[in-house]
Amino acid sequence: MEKKYWKGVEELNNSPEFTRLRDNEFFENLPIDELLQNKASSTSSTSRRDFLKFLGFGVAAASLAACEAPVKKAIPYVVKPEEITYGIPDYYASAFFDGNDYCSVLVKTREGRPIKIEGNKLSSVTNGGTNARVQASVLSLYDSARLTSPLSAKKKATWSEVDAAITSKLSQSAAAGKKIVILSSTLPSPTTKKVVAEFSAKYPTTEHIVYDAVSYYGLLKGNELSFGKSMIPSYRFDNAEVIVSFAADFLATWLSPIEFARQYAITRKLRDGKKNMSRHIQFESTLSLTGSNADNRYKLKPSQLSSAVANLYNKIAAATGGASVSSSATPQDKAIEKVAQELLNAKGKSLVVSGSNDPNEQVLVNAINHLLGNYNSTINVNQECNLRASNDAAVIELMSKMNAGEVGTIIFWNANPIYSLPNSKDFQAALSKVGTKVSFADREDETAQFCDYVAPEHHYLESWNDLEPYKGYFNLVQPTIRPLFDTRQPQESLMKWAAMPQADYYSYLEENWKSNIYRMQTGVTSGQAFWTQSLRNGVFEVAVTAASAPAFTGNVQDAASKITKPGTGVELVMYEKTGIANGAHANNPWLQEFPDPISKVCWDNYFAILPSYAAKMGFKQGNVIEVKVGNVSVKGPVLLQPAMAEETIAIAVGYGRTNVGKAGNGVGVNAYPLVTIANASMKYYTAATVSKTVEDDYPLAATQTHHTMMGREIVKETTLSAWLKDAKAGNPEEMIETPYGKKKVEDVDLWASQKNPGFDRPNHSWGLGIDLNACIGCGACVVACNAENNVAVVGKDEVMRSREMHWIRIDRYYSSDVTKENAGEKGLGKLDMYGEMEKPAAENPDVVFQPVMCQHCNNAPCETVCPVVATTHSSEGLNMMAYNRCVGTRYCANNCPYKVRRFNWFEYTNNEKFPYTMTDNLGKMVLNPDVVVRSRGVMEKCSMCVQRIQYGKLEAKKAGRRPLDGEINTACAQSCPTNALVFGDYNDPQSEVNKLAVDGRSYHLLAEIKVKPGVFYQTKVRNKEEGKEA
Amino acid sequence: MHKESELRPPLILGDKTWHDITEDVCRPVESKANKWWWLAFSLAVAALLWWIVAVSYTLGTGLGVWGLNKTVGWAWDITNFVWWVGIGHAGTLISAILLLFRQKWRLSINRSAEAMTIFAVICAATFIVTHMGRPWVAYWPIPLPNQFGSLWVNFNSPLVWDVFAISTYFTVSLVFWYTGLIPDFAVIRERATTKWRKRIYTLLSFGWVGSAKNWQRFEEVSLVLAGISTPLVLSVHSVVSMDFATSLVPGWHTTIFPPYFVAGAVFSGFAMVQTLLIIGRKVLGLEDYITIYHIDMMNRVILITGSIVGVAYITEFFIAWYSGVEYEQYAFINRATGPYWWAYWSMMTCNVITPQLFWSTKLRESVFATFIISIFVNIGMWFERFVIIVTSLHRDYIPSSWTMYHPTWVEAGIFIGSLGLFFTCFLLFARVFPVIAMSELKTIIKSSSEGSKKKHAKSVTQEVNV
Amino acid sequence: MSAASKKLVYGIFQDDDVVLQAIATLKKKGLNVKDVFSPFPIHGMDEALGLKRTRIAICCFIYGVIGCSLALLMVYYMNILDWPMDIGGKPSFAFYKNLPAFIPVTFETTVLCAAHGMVITFYLRSKLLPGVEPHIIHPRMSDDHFVMAVQVNTEAEIANVEAQLMSAGAVSVQK
Repeated sequence: MEKKYWKGVEELNNSPEFTRLRDNEFFENLPIDELLQNKASSTSSTSRRDFLKFLGFGVAAASLAACEAPVKKAIPYVVKPEEITYGIPDYYASAFFDGNDYCSVLVKTREGRPIKIEGNKLSSVTNGGTNARVQASVLSLYDSARLTSPLSAKKKATWSEVDAAITSKLSQSAAAGKKIVILSSTLPSPTTKKVVAEFSAKYPTTEHIVYDAVSYYGLLKGNELSFGKSMIPSYRFDNAEVIVSFAADFLATWLSPIEFARQYAITRKLRDGKKNMSRHIQFESTLSLTGSNADNRYKLKPSQLSSAVANLYNKIAAATGGASVSSSATPQDKAIEKVAQELLNAKGKSLVVSGSNDPNEQVLVNAINHLLGNYNSTINVNQECNLRASNDAAVIELMSKMNAGEVGTIIFWNANPIYSLPNSKDFQAALSKVGTKVSFADREDETAQFCDYVAPEHHYLESWNDLEPYKGYFNLVQPTIRPLFDTRQPQESLMKWAAMPQADYYSYLEENWKSNIYRMQTGVTSGQAFWTQSLRNGVFEVAVTAASAPAFTGNVQDAASKITKPGTGVELVMYEKTGIANGAHANNPWLQEFPDPISKVCWDNYFAILPSYAAKMGFKQGNVIEVKVGNVSVKGPVLLQPAMAEETIAIAVGYGRTNVGKAGNGVGVNAYPLVTIANASMKYYTAATVSKTVEDDYPLAATQTHHTMMGREIVKETTLSAWLKDAKAGNPEEMIETPYGKKKVEDVDLWASQKNPGFDRPNHSWGLGIDLNACIGCGACVVACNAENNVAVVGKDEVMRSREMHWIRIDRYYSSDVTKENAGEKGLGKLDMYGEMEKPAAENPDVVFQPVMCQHCNNAPCETVCPVVATTHSSEGLNMMAYNRCVGTRYCANNCPYKVRRFNWFEYTNNEKFPYTMTDNLGKMVLNPDVVVRSRGVMEKCSMCVQRIQYGKLEAKKAGRRPLDGEINTACAQSCPTNALVFGDYNDPQSEVNKLAVDGRSYHLLAEIKVKPGVFYQTKVRNKEEGKEA
Repeated sequence: MHKESELRPPLILGDKTWHDITEDVCRPVESKANKWWWLAFSLAVAALLWWIVAVSYTLGTGLGVWGLNKTVGWAWDITNFVWWVGIGHAGTLISAILLLFRQKWRLSINRSAEAMTIFAVICAATFIVTHMGRPWVAYWPIPLPNQFGSLWVNFNSPLVWDVFAISTYFTVSLVFWYTGLIPDFAVIRERATTKWRKRIYTLLSFGWVGSAKNWQRFEEVSLVLAGISTPLVLSVHSVVSMDFATSLVPGWHTTIFPPYFVAGAVFSGFAMVQTLLIIGRKVLGLEDYITIYHIDMMNRVILITGSIVGVAYITEFFIAWYSGVEYEQYAFINRATGPYWWAYWSMMTCNVITPQLFWSTKLRESVFATFIISIFVNIGMWFERFVIIVTSLHRDYIPSSWTMYHPTWVEAGIFIGSLGLFFTCFLLFARVFPVIAMSELKTIIKSSSEGSKKKHAKSVTQEVNV
Repeated sequence: MSAASKKLVYGIFQDDDVVLQAIATLKKKGLNVKDVFSPFPIHGMDEALGLKRTRIAICCFIYGVIGCSLALLMVYYMNILDWPMDIGGKPSFAFYKNLPAFIPVTFETTVLCAAHGMVITFYLRSKLLPGVEPHIIHPRMSDDHFVMAVQVNTEAEIANVEAQLMSAGAVSVQK
């Protein structure tokens, strides 16, 4: 018989009491109702056990509830952070540096989301200016291509796993005496450098190699050869009266464009009684943004530039008693002679720069500046620039080390050599010989895909850091949002792997600032106070170290012997575009749709060729050609680009990414492989062979397809001398023929007598002034407007159909050989004249830029024709648009003489046909909650940032005063690095816009049709003799 | 009683009696349709189906499926709208203006011409709706009280003028047409053999018996309607032309547009009437009523209006040159020599040169030539609107925005489809409505029919003999 | 009067001129010619029967005036009074200054009211409405026959009247 075990004697007895108790689990019933009546706990009979049971239930219930918590798109704050008020933006001082541009910024956040980047006026480097890339950087934060967690062998992993693995690998490499290489972009951050140093201390075999996609090695090396120290000085274009640039695109991409653009504009503006202007002369092969702004521009083949520098040097040397060098003739020697004279006349107040990456050419440039005594004024070697430190020699050497198997571990930090190295195939091969490959890339990019581990870095808006762009100029980078994904700062990763004591990089940074950087000043007396202040201001600048002429030790003869000699035949030159630059932000739809300031083409790169030369070669726009350099060949479409040098083909780097994300993959072709390596430095031009392919034409998407002004007074222009004689030079009063003789435009009025209420501007009258002399056409305003006003990105196909949505565009016009004036002499009839005027000047046209947004006409033609009063005028002079009233007849757009109205041809939100910002849930986080997202079928246009105006007015009201001039600013005006756009209130007699409006150079676009715009322009003044060259 | 000189060509051929007219006109309504009708009808319906497809695609996806862009906001849509409205004008002109001028030859064509008006205006209306960005709120331009309180329409806008003009024009033409139909419905009613036919036509004829008082009022109403339709029809195309004339686009901003557009409208309208009736008189066997004389008369109108249009074109160019306005001058030079030169020159050929052929009586009286030329005129007038709209817009003030416009299959589909809609309506009309105003036509049989003229001639000769 | 007074005798004719003459002769003979039903309007019929001139044109004019004033009121109220707005700097705040822009709408509305008002009045006065059962005397009276209705006061007269009608050219007579 089987045994029976009793649970206890009770069971044996099996008393009824026992059975009762056994049958119900809790034999003391819970006094829940008592509890719910919440009797005072003292009186309630809740026992300890009961409490524990409640606790148990509670936890269970809670966890159950947690399992099925509904996911909502909008979750209100349960506990509102004290610094956040709904609808009120918070601004955080920070800084942008992506290995390319430096910019001190303020980050605008709404309800904890960074939505807009604005310039930080406290920085004396960028001084509130920004550029297209900086403006667009906020969108990269919400890039769905970013990695959401670390990867180990391409699989998602946890940080602990990755850390453990990498640490062991590192110690193995160190133990085996193999190199640990950190291949990073320039890191102008003192604290980061400290971290790297401590890391190297932990792993002695560590080697830190700096590699920038676009190298400035030549500049660094050149200075080393000249002054015995590898460094880049700071340039002061604002002190220069004569600026000579040899293919240095310092307004768009060279070194520190935002800073230089501001300095440059200072010398170009003719405001507040300033009557002098710098002379700007550019020698270049491509038409760069800088070249298009030059007073005189001379074309040279890439291989001729160095010799041109040498010839200029000889001319200067001859006059200043310097040693002459041997050099070859160039087609522009006559011009060089004149330029030399101008430089000599401006001794000590001139500046010569070169964009070349050839150390020897830079030596000659330094020599010129030295002979001209510019090192006391326009160049400061004591104020070193830390923005570029790339070392081509080291990178090239690295590859041999890798091949030799000396490298145990390699860490890529904001470096993507597989994409951006010319010989990336070899590098890839070499990489396979490296034991452990780690990348900090924020996405699985071209290089990261070959790495064993990816430790994704934060976006800079999630990071702590500090920057020292120039010696003694510091800028803190602070996070403005909690990390969106499971990512980590590289600095922190290094600290973990080096097992450093500090908890995280933040504390390390704070510590470093409180202890070390704090000591650089005396004003603030406590480290904490200093830290808070620096954090608030973003910037901390110690007194500028004065310039002093260094001893020039360069060997000019040697340098001159080593420079490239003028070559024959087709030459290829690689350059950076104003929007995409080195290609790091290729997945940013705003930048891809941002039209290139010169070609107006977006969503592609191309081979730019001079039309006459293309004709000679038998190429037409859109033809696909093949360019061969050595054994590398690249196929791409032809773009007919006026003002290119003869026998020269230019292509932009930064395109043809394959692993960057939806928007950027496969856009354009990768031109980096065409870069050559000559005497241990990257060479961005080379001889090439070109051939037409049989492939079908490749259409390019351009936002502007007609390039001349057809002899119309759209951008008014004059020369400095003429303007000095007559303040209204080039801007004569518009007169209208009437039966009573010629009359001023404003005197011709159908309702002249009318004094209706509703037309006067009782409170404000907003206006915008645009100084065409200060506008360099960089396009920061275009992207700023995208960000501020939720402007849709529509993609290449739609742009090809002329349907881009930009509210502000920058028109670029070339001068034409035939003008109304000279048509007669050329014996052209009216028909032929117009035909000819459509063609830009074949060889070297003048270029003008003109930002055009809604002109907010007071007699708006768009308003009168709207059947449903969807667009009307405000009592503050704004042309308003009521989207939800619009029925979409498009009559207003037809009747707009400026063609600034944009129609929503499709639903651009949540539409897979437009897989950009507004379709992707992450991308939507960048939307400005103050601006409605337009739906399909309605018209939209510039509102003069009415939401900002409203906000400013309310702020002023709260303060019980009227808004101050400059307090309210539109996104475009605010983003402008040169302050070419000035926004203000005409009703405020003190406002700057009022001062400008009465200036002799001010005019209304198409004044003769008398729509009374609220926006006005100022004549462009060129500092050159009419007709005469140089 | 009224007699008419036999020198005037007869308006009705053959020795027709009143009853013959009744028989001839009712035949299409009472007999079965022949294969030609079925062929035409199936073609029209096929096109109509394409229209439905293209329109639904547009409404579903967005106007982006058309070829428009930031610079050219209107193209085929408004071209077709103006073209159709213009065609409509002939009907009202024939029934109203010719009535005021007591032109008896109008009687055999006014019914179908008016029908054409109605259907053409319907087609035009479809383009107003489909060209909107948000057609589902197409009623907003009508001043209706709404939940937003004081939110009304903008009476300064030519588009609101359009809304009023087109809707007035449509409804007035409709009642004008219907009132004329009532007596004829009565005829069919009395001849009706089947129960349903009788029911339907009883309903349609509003219980008409033709008492003296009815006829008196009927004639008065027709006369007054004609009186007010005349300025109406002139106003409609003037208003349409103001869509362009009141804007400031170079090439649109032109004071001669109203008369020029009205002339053009009549021009194209008569051409369309010709196209329709030359086929109709054959298919429905109405050669005796729609005679060579009628065709000749209409060709004369085409000749005159065509010449007016030609003069207008030349005037535009002259004014552009004479004004000395930069933009105006370029707009017109660009029309003739710019990227759309081919459109301009096809317009010139079809509208200015072709109609001049009608100076020759032989061609005026040749059915074939008339048919061909009427087609040419229709094409030319379509191009006129295309030229005015597209070439003016694609290169206006700021060269940076200059661009080209390329139509898509969707726009083509909607246009062809609208022709389908039009012909479907017209063919149905030809089957169930009396295509000739018989009651009115009967009034002239004694004076202007061939038979009566013969009798009259005989009697005269007899008198001479006595 | 007696019931017989309602009695009508219809003469069927086949020619409009004959009808006109018949009316004249019969009237001379003191017959009470009430009405003539014809397939098309006959000139001189109004005079022959002594019909009063219709006032429908006057109604039309009145409707027009109403339409015109309605339009002006509407525009004034909607654009000037209820919500004046600055629309392209047009003088939208003073009716008379902005009037030129309102003329098209005013005109169209005038025509709209005039035309529709008149036609509706015509239909109502002539009892022409969908569904009205017509009183058909002769199957071809809308085709090519003409019907003259003569009122007789006493049964006795009928025969005489019929005779008169026949002699006046009627092809047949029916009660």
